[in-house]
Amino acid sequence: MTISSVKKFPMSKKKSRRTASNTWRHVFAWSLILFSIFPIFVVVMSSFDASGGLASSQIIPTNFSLDNYIQLFTKDELPFGIWIWNTFYISAINAVASVLIGVFAAFAFSRLRFKGRKFGLQALLLIQVFPSFLALAAIYVIMERIYTVFPAIGLGSIWGLLLIYLGGSMGANAWLLKGFLDSIPMELDEAAKIDGASPSQIFWQIFLPLTTPVLIVTTLLSFVGTFNEFILASLFLQDVNARTVAVGLQSFVGGEYGANWNAFAAGSVLAAIPLVALFLGLQKYIVGGVAAGAVKG
Amino acid sequence: MSKLKANLPASLGLKILLLALVTAVLGFMAYLAFLAGEWLIGGVLTAVTVVANVIYSSKRFVPAKFLYPGIIFLALFVVVPVIYTLVMSTYNYKTGNEITKEEAITQLYEIGLTQDVSGTTYSMVLGEKDGKTAVLLTDQLSGEVFFGQNQELTQLNDGDYVAGPDGVAVESDGFKRLSDEAAANAEAYLSDLKFPAPDGTIIMAQGVDIAAKMIQAYQYDQATNTLTDSISGTVYIDNGNGNFVDQADNEVILYPGWRQFNPLQNYAGLLANPAIRGPFIGVFIWTFFFSVSTVVMMFGLGLVLAIALDKKIRGRNFYRGLLILPYAMPSFMSILIWAGMFNRENGAINSLLGLEIPWLEDPILAKIAILIVNLWLGFPYFYLIATGALQALPTDLEEAAAIDGATGQQIFWRIKLPLILQILSPLLIASMAFNFNNFNLVYLLTRGGPTDVINGETAGATDILITYAYKTAFAGTEQNLGLASAISVIIFLIVGLLSLWSLRRSKVLEIMQ
Repeated sequence: MTISSVKKFPMSKKKSRRTASNTWRHVFAWSLILFSIFPIFVVVMSSFDASGGLASSQIIPTNFSLDNYIQLFTKDELPFGIWIWNTFYISAINAVASVLIGVFAAFAFSRLRFKGRKFGLQALLLIQVFPSFLALAAIYVIMERIYTVFPAIGLGSIWGLLLIYLGGSMGANAWLLKGFLDSIPMELDEAAKIDGASPSQIFWQIFLPLTTPVLIVTTLLSFVGTFNEFILASLFLQDVNARTVAVGLQSFVGGEYGANWNAFAAGSVLAAIPLVALFLGLQKYIVGGVAAGAVKG
Repeated sequence: MSKLKANLPASLGLKILLLALVTAVLGFMAYLAFLAGEWLIGGVLTAVTVVANVIYSSKRFVPAKFLYPGIIFLALFVVVPVIYTLVMSTYNYKTGNEITKEEAITQLYEIGLTQDVSGTTYSMVLGEKDGKTAVLLTDQLSGEVFFGQNQELTQLNDGDYVAGPDGVAVESDGFKRLSDEAAANAEAYLSDLKFPAPDGTIIMAQGVDIAAKMIQAYQYDQATNTLTDSISGTVYIDNGNGNFVDQADNEVILYPGWRQFNPLQNYAGLLANPAIRGPFIGVFIWTFFFSVSTVVMMFGLGLVLAIALDKKIRGRNFYRGLLILPYAMPSFMSILIWAGMFNRENGAINSLLGLEIPWLEDPILAKIAILIVNLWLGFPYFYLIATGALQALPTDLEEAAAIDGATGQQIFWRIKLPLILQILSPLLIASMAFNFNNFNLVYLLTRGGPTDVINGETAGATDILITYAYKTAFAGTEQNLGLASAISVIIFLIVGLLSLWSLRRSKVLEIMQ
């Protein structure tokens, strides 16, 4: 399968060639591994560095301590716990709601026939390439106006931000999920239809259970996406207690780098652990999905 | 399929309950919006509620039942902002030109208030009558006394008031003087104390104990669309771009201005105005260069890695777990970590090298830093998809080529690579479109900088279009929402055309029949 293994002749050289070719594979993999883990190593080390203040000049700290972690939960001006909570619930609500919206739409596009279906699919395909923050100036002005009537869902509120996120959910998920729904055999719902099931019964009682594993992965990816979102969150959430982790951690180091580098490092490690663990735990599904998506085109 | 549950009363009840809840909440919000005079918001909320009730309480409209929530959010929070972006891009809409013309004229009127030539001033005593703010004014020259309330002045005759030792009126029928303490805190409503006099002048509070006779200098004439300064006699004309300017010298501009519909101005500025065009073209070129080269680099590295690990070598699964770590980390965090590592004085990279390389301060090095960080973020993804593509290649092609005497090199470059590129081209193009707008990377790593502020640069060396639009709209002293929207519209066009082209190529649009 590889460049060298198809060179079958001359036989006598085969063994030495294989050893050599495997060596470069290992060397190459290890050099990329070093590249991959270097920043992670640096941030973990910094998070235990008690020298405080500036980004440490040595990579491996001389005085290990947990001070950076402790101050995340004791300093009032760094409400890290609140940021984590804000991020967790906005990401969770958005993930569940947007995947539900997406799977509703995917079901309609996959199984129902109606006027405007083809146009809808094409329009969604085009819309999904535009991140909603492209219209940020307009979003800002619109939400400013909504704020004057409903402060709770206008500019500055996490619920207003959620509304903007939900706007993008159909574009992001409908096509992806339609692909999975299309792979469920038609015979299944045709049989149900003959038995007198309504479309909503088919959806809730047949499709939803069948797609649960896919929906879980999609929900997780959507969760991570919201977790990473910075531009709209930073535009919306000015108040220190309304921030998400992304905006909050950025404010540790924003502008003057090194201003609060070690605290930032500790916060990053704490916030990253659950996500990385989830990702590695579900590696098989996510990798499978990515590879399948690629081959399907 | 006989196991299907019947449409239970419980689920029907749940549906009705949900619909009632949504109707109640949205209906109440609509009511509040109408109450606040926001007819547009109220109207939209009403329409959303009514249509929801029609769709969900009828047995028809089955597809709409599934699509409605998504379509509403999509329409209100994606389509409307996109259309509004288009509208804003056709206005001169920036700091100093944000309000309507009527509002601007009202504000100019207030600015245009100057003290009357007579120089009349009044001693003022704050108080209240019948629970409402009221004042007693004593003309400091003539000693005439006036009672003012509800923007109306009444002259008081000698017997109607009681004057203090300094001759200032302090009491009258029903008038209760504010304590000194309360008067000192009355600043908040001083600006409301305005009393138009019959001769066209206005008597206004100038402090907590003094008022003066003012005259409105500006007069707007609707017919000629000019603003005249009645004192100096200067005539200001509408310059067609949201401001009144001196008829004789159009450099003399009155602020505030208003947002003026001027459909092509922002776009023309991007193409023709050297101060805007210069940075814009630089940003434009870098955006293209960045989005193409970064995808080529990530794909190249990912593909080589995929080839290296395509063979079952020892430790392959272990390698893979470590190699996809960058993909598993929250990306905003990784970018901020890299930003710290690139710090010149105490970043990890310079301390490892023992050098002081100004990574983020030099325009070229900052661009290289951007590419390195994005390579780190993106190569694991391309490794994964390239692995998938390699495994999907038909093996018989390769065997046939080997039998025909093709070398490994030839097989790779002439057969495998073209096939892989064909399989992955939609993803490569999608990745370019994504990186075209990779706001997080640029903004969190360099903030678009370094920016040569001293030489008046408005765009930094690593700014891409979207970060430039963001800065134009929200950073700096002048916020130009109109220009930022025009840049957004251009991004829409480029990304839209790129995607359409790639969709045509990949024939997705035909397959989906």
